[in-house]
Amino acid sequence: MTGIVDFERSGEETLPTLAEGGAGVQEIEARSPLELFWRRLRQDKVAMTALVFVVLLIFVAVLAPLIVKIFGQRGPNVQGTKYLDSFGTPSGPSSANFFGVDPLGRSVFSRVLYGARVSLQVALFATAISVTIGVTVGMVAAFYRGWVDTVLSRLIDVLLAFPILLLAIGLASACSLGNGCLGGLIQPGKWLVMLVIAFVNWTYIARIIRGQVLSLREKEFVDASRSLGASNRRIIFRELLPNLVAPIIVYSTLIIPQNVLFEAALSFLGVGVQPPDASWGQMIADATEIFDTAWWYMLAPGAALLLTVLAFNLLGDGLQDALNPRSGRNK
Amino acid sequence: MRTRLIGVAVIALALVVAGCGSSSNKTGGTSTGSVSVTKGKKGGTLTVLSASDVDSLDPGYWYYQFDQQALAEPTQRALMGWEAAKKSPTPDLAKAQPKITDGGKTFTFQLKPGIKYSPGPVKHTVRAADIKYAMERCFLPQVGNGYVNSYFQYIQGVDAFKSGKAKEISGIQAPNETTLVIKQTKPYGALTQALALPCTTPVPKEYAAKYDSGKQSTYGQHQVFTGPYMIKGAESGSTSAGYTPGKKIDLVRNPNWVAKTDFKPAYFDNIVFLGGNDLSVASRKILTGSSMMSGDFAAPPVDVLKQALQTRKDQLKILEAGSNRFIGLNTAIPPFNNENIRKAVLAGTNRNALRLTRGGPTLGTVATNFIPPDIPGGKQAQASASALDYMKNPNGDMAVAAKYFKAAGFKDGKYHGPRVLMVGDDQPPASKTGEAFQQMLKDMGFNVNYRQVPHDVMYSKFCQVPKAKVQICPNVGWGKDFFEALSIIDPVFNGKNIVPSGNVNYSQQNDPKINKMMDDAAFVVDPAKRAQAWANVDDELMKHAYSLPWLWDNDINFASKNVNLVQNLFNSSGDVTYSSLK
Repeated sequence: MTGIVDFERSGEETLPTLAEGGAGVQEIEARSPLELFWRRLRQDKVAMTALVFVVLLIFVAVLAPLIVKIFGQRGPNVQGTKYLDSFGTPSGPSSANFFGVDPLGRSVFSRVLYGARVSLQVALFATAISVTIGVTVGMVAAFYRGWVDTVLSRLIDVLLAFPILLLAIGLASACSLGNGCLGGLIQPGKWLVMLVIAFVNWTYIARIIRGQVLSLREKEFVDASRSLGASNRRIIFRELLPNLVAPIIVYSTLIIPQNVLFEAALSFLGVGVQPPDASWGQMIADATEIFDTAWWYMLAPGAALLLTVLAFNLLGDGLQDALNPRSGRNK
Repeated sequence: MRTRLIGVAVIALALVVAGCGSSSNKTGGTSTGSVSVTKGKKGGTLTVLSASDVDSLDPGYWYYQFDQQALAEPTQRALMGWEAAKKSPTPDLAKAQPKITDGGKTFTFQLKPGIKYSPGPVKHTVRAADIKYAMERCFLPQVGNGYVNSYFQYIQGVDAFKSGKAKEISGIQAPNETTLVIKQTKPYGALTQALALPCTTPVPKEYAAKYDSGKQSTYGQHQVFTGPYMIKGAESGSTSAGYTPGKKIDLVRNPNWVAKTDFKPAYFDNIVFLGGNDLSVASRKILTGSSMMSGDFAAPPVDVLKQALQTRKDQLKILEAGSNRFIGLNTAIPPFNNENIRKAVLAGTNRNALRLTRGGPTLGTVATNFIPPDIPGGKQAQASASALDYMKNPNGDMAVAAKYFKAAGFKDGKYHGPRVLMVGDDQPPASKTGEAFQQMLKDMGFNVNYRQVPHDVMYSKFCQVPKAKVQICPNVGWGKDFFEALSIIDPVFNGKNIVPSGNVNYSQQNDPKINKMMDDAAFVVDPAKRAQAWANVDDELMKHAYSLPWLWDNDINFASKNVNLVQNLFNSSGDVTYSSLK
């Protein structure tokens, strides 16, 4: 019995609704769940646009050095006093610097591209870590119930009660001093930001997964495999987990933009990514000082941040609709 | 926030570095503080806008730039004072320059007779004994003076007074009402100028003693004034009517002040100081409004400055601040215990680019050494330091850097070694300076752990704590107390000043030979020779590249169109007793 089969079964009640989606009923029955999902997603123009943007963004982030080179722009950390006037005021967009320069004469274009790297890296890794922790904790708590559930759930409650941003600022600034914290093991910078974000974010996923598993574990297929002698591990990983793919994908996609914003916020406050690494949040913080004279310095990273977050959010919504049409957000 | 920095007071230094903006003169040349004093029109009210308040109302405490501008200059007279356009003190309460005898150890002053205190509690005129008490109370912890422990330390009997063994300082004598004699154990040359600091403002003992007896002196709130102005309501014996902490100081004319006994013209009838202003908003208000002047701002924000220089140039006055900014290299630990590596870093640094992070040439002159050129000895030091191959090119010279890296054993002319720790300020423009320098270091081969922390943390946890083993402090500096090179070099480079915390000898220079040069220079009696002796100390520091000086600041003061703004050279800020309405 494969995961895919379970998936199909758990979704069986949704088939009639799908029929209203426009395609012929007979054809649908011939498709795999993945095909169904893709077909539904493809019809959602907004989500597809967002998907294209996200793919493009990842592409740009990975190939940033190459793109900078192709367009003849300077690297993100190359300073150029010749692009500043005698007061140190940066010059605006030109063919030498597409998005103008910052107060140190660095190319804002290059820094926005490299900022995308940092942003995505932090957001994706932090999301991966928090999803892994969250899913594990959520499944374990719900599956075993009893004291395990009590302990884990209370832990989640406690963490949820933390003022997250304050906690993150505290942790990040404590580790930003001198040679880092825990005897130099944790250094300030993007890895610390990832850890902080992951640490505070896994609780949401854990709660959602716990709720799902609580209902799934009572389903007949779980009883069936248990009566066939399946071990707890097998039930958790081979029976339950495949059924959780949909919520995991949806919530991961929705957490990513949150984490992008979180990284930007921490960097804006000066406790995130450390100079000279480029970060959108840090660029926006820098730019506020000179917005009157150098609007491009805020506009470029601001637009990048806005579009990225928007794209991930729209994509997340689209995925949710496609994976779980009954939620009826659009129809 | 600008201030003169001082040797002893740790807070003081903080200021320099924190520095807001500052501008510089045209490249190379300096608009060396020329202040022109023109005759003004009497009357009117001036409003001075500032970001913060004075540090204290007590003349015994006054030290920093804004204390001097808002209180010392307009409201009090000291033994010696500072005329707006002069670089040496003018007799104020004293009739003439002191008679210096005993090989530079004894100073004898004759005082002007009949100088009255402001109306109110004190009826008698200023007596020599009042100045003697004023100087004694500066040593009291409840007064909290920041400089007497350095500048008055060689006066006879100071140690006995401080330890409580003596009730008075035996080296300060008032044989009659108009004669004051100050005796030192050594011919300490800086005393001449130090006696023009506000500590010598007369304080009548029989009146002030009750306010000086508590844990914190309250004499400031009950002081009597000798200057052309006084805080409103002072005749009642309290300043509370004219002073709202953090917000407002209201000055009115002192009816007992006699113009012909003073060098200050004092044109305005009223002067109001308003605190708590945002730099950007206040700058625009001052420039476009009327009858206003800048207070504790070192310069307007760069965008305002740039615009103002094009359209209202005559409302801005630029003056050398007499302070330096340098990048502290920790010479006590690797890698900067290696002189060649230090020289390479000096050579490879683009000081012009660092200056641009603060606003470019208007905000200061690119430095080649530590003593700014407007201070005696500075010009000589500049001449020899700019001949050093690693200081010659203000844009940095990677070839020279490579030469010194090779001399240090790095065959490819670039540094290789473990990461170095650099701790700087997290606020612009200082943070920008740090980031620019970080990249220059990287180009020289360094791997830098660069931490940006709040200003006070940078000092209290890192740069001023030798144990923290910070290798580079990019945002430090020092300012003059008066026109003596000692005040800019000794606190920051004398090895005997290295302390476990609050250490401002950032480079941890402790070469016995250089220490001795400083100790000797302090006691050279002839001012010109003394200046040369300090210039030699500066040369020696630069020859061994103890740190990397990169800027001598300018202060940019500004006023409304209808104000004839006159700056004070000593304080490098607008002088309200010389300025007037047009």
